[in-house]
Amino acid sequence: MKAREKLDQLKAKLGPAIRRADIPSDHCLFVFVEASALKAVCEYVFRDLDARFITSIGADDRSFSGSFLVAHNFAFDRDHLLCSILTEIPASQPCVESISTVVPAANWAERELRDLVGIELSGHPYPKRLVLPDGWPDGVHPLRKDIPWNFVPDDYDDEREFKFDEPPEGCTVVPFGPFHPTLDEPAHFRLYVEGERVRGCEYRGFMVHRGIEKLAESVLGYNDIPIMAERICGICGCVHNVTYAQAVEAAAALQAPPRAEYLRSILLELERLHSHLLWVGLACHIVGFDTLFMQAFRIREPVMWIAEKITGNRKTYGLCVIGGVRRDLTPALEDELRQVLARLETEWQAVTAAVLQDRNIQKRTRGVGVADRNLVKEAGLIGPVARAAGVGIDCRRDHPYAAYDRVDFDVITAPDGDVWSRLVVRAREVFESIKIIRQCLDKMESGPIQLEIKDELPVGRLGISSVEAPRGECHHFVITGENNRPRRWRVRAPTYQNLQGVPAMIKDQQLADMTISLGSIDPCFSCTDRLETIDLRSGAVKVWSPEELLKLARARGIAAESSAKESDES
Amino acid sequence: MSLTSKFKEAMVGLKAGRVTLDYPAHPRPVPENFRGRPIFDAQKCIGCAACANNCPAREILVLDVCQEVRILKYLGRRCTYCGRCSDVCPEKAITMSHEFETATNKISDVHQRLDLFMSTCQRCGRCFKETSPLEQLKLKGYRFDDLENERWIFRSRSFLESEPLVDDIKIELD
Repeated sequence: MKAREKLDQLKAKLGPAIRRADIPSDHCLFVFVEASALKAVCEYVFRDLDARFITSIGADDRSFSGSFLVAHNFAFDRDHLLCSILTEIPASQPCVESISTVVPAANWAERELRDLVGIELSGHPYPKRLVLPDGWPDGVHPLRKDIPWNFVPDDYDDEREFKFDEPPEGCTVVPFGPFHPTLDEPAHFRLYVEGERVRGCEYRGFMVHRGIEKLAESVLGYNDIPIMAERICGICGCVHNVTYAQAVEAAAALQAPPRAEYLRSILLELERLHSHLLWVGLACHIVGFDTLFMQAFRIREPVMWIAEKITGNRKTYGLCVIGGVRRDLTPALEDELRQVLARLETEWQAVTAAVLQDRNIQKRTRGVGVADRNLVKEAGLIGPVARAAGVGIDCRRDHPYAAYDRVDFDVITAPDGDVWSRLVVRAREVFESIKIIRQCLDKMESGPIQLEIKDELPVGRLGISSVEAPRGECHHFVITGENNRPRRWRVRAPTYQNLQGVPAMIKDQQLADMTISLGSIDPCFSCTDRLETIDLRSGAVKVWSPEELLKLARARGIAAESSAKESDES
Repeated sequence: MSLTSKFKEAMVGLKAGRVTLDYPAHPRPVPENFRGRPIFDAQKCIGCAACANNCPAREILVLDVCQEVRILKYLGRRCTYCGRCSDVCPEKAITMSHEFETATNKISDVHQRLDLFMSTCQRCGRCFKETSPLEQLKLKGYRFDDLENERWIFRSRSFLESEPLVDDIKIELD
């Protein structure tokens, strides 16, 4: 009923702009609007109807409908409704009005669709290149259907340099990333520092963009993609695996059997357990409290082992295929899982009893990296970051999937929005996950774990799915297609939104708090783009340019390779 | 109180004792269900190439030398041990072994090559029933993957090359 209600509200306000609408279920709404009214509709949905922005999607639909597609996805969390505002853009003039001025959270997603699909944005407040590498030629957009999956541009320009913004007056630039001892993934923050205070920053990421979406749309098949999807993330892979399967199932109107849904919930919660334990450990490591880092990892290990016993691998579960799951849980494994949970619960109680009273950690994390309710709304922050700011959003409750509508649990929130609150939220969520797994084990009925699929999947249907990953909402958008593979598959991982909140979180705080502020959402840092060598005898200083360094490194690499070859031959 | 919490934290650590495993001197046995390196059984294999068609990493190549001989080559370089090949195998000819320490200097150590005798289907030459439409053979007919350069070839031909290794019949499929 809610979907109907929202559509009526939209029609009453912006009637002529709405071309057609589709309500595939009570919890899902697709609205096709005129391109000229896209911004007004999004503004109304985001501001007046108070929806949460999820992501923007661009799709090259030219060979099927003759036009490009742009979609802006929103969530009505209280109404259990996911909504997609779509518009068709003529192939002759791929240009759309940017919504980033009214929906600031759409900044990255819009730049991504400009880079990858080549839909120009008019009126974007910061139209800088985001995803494509610096040397990639302009005007070539890899996600267009006429670009092959293994395309290598001839005019790739290795020499082209990234133009950084000018730092504000009186600030020094401190480069932060792509490599830094405390964080594991490459991302570059160019911090503007005044004394010890961070005044702002420029982010540069997407250094490990792997083109998984392109592969899925051109090479892989429906059931290959779940295996690839779970390799999107090194910690919460199962989440992508399940979200993708659910999105395709939603598009093709398939329903996984109940036992498969319980199994999905159990494995998702196991993943949350190991991810939260890992995060608490890493956060403690970042603030210099290595005892708990070690203990958190020790407590986490049995969770990895039981996952290995159930699925065959400790991390990449390979759980889902479309229409179900691949492996069942035997009674013996159920018992063992209960034992693991019981031990984990007592051990984690001991840890939280100690840590949540620890004043040293509190001093290091209270009032640090604050994200308030306003930032949560504007930047579209999600997951523990939003819940720690008192915004109780959780897809497991708001957009129930798998077996979450059949279990009881609390959504943990904390009021302050700082790193400490995030630590408290994550530490307490561990107990909720244990509770959920136990209920699933109790309620799980026997039966098939895979749906028998007799027909090919319908073509050109839309499907969206949101899953609460340990880091926040993970969202997938699928358009089903020909040749046993989706026509378009868009992945929005939780960090995509949360990273956009980091500049505001670190503003005006100590440089030393940068690591834990960034770490508290879960993403990276330290490199200089030059190297100095000092000749000890003469004391002469030589500054190496990036080109010289590259040459040197490559020469060494070739030398090493040829010496290896020689030893091989001998 | 911070002092009591420090004491409690110390207790958590002391209670745990030593947990580090004596690896690699004493490897921990892997569980029953473990997905390690897939092992291909040439005795059971019927050469349907379902594994090659459903390998997400595209690590299984198929070459039809002639009507009677099909070569199936598992490369194992990018193999993620996902076990899809063993799932879709109609003859259960692929088992996920317990091997996982497969690092090597010589990549051919992990290769597996099956030279299969194929009986001729009088109707179509090369056709096999898929388990579900989602596992359908995306490349039907004769396959000519590039074994020499270990490359998957994306187009499939329904007839043999003009000069097959063995003089053979030519059948059009589609």
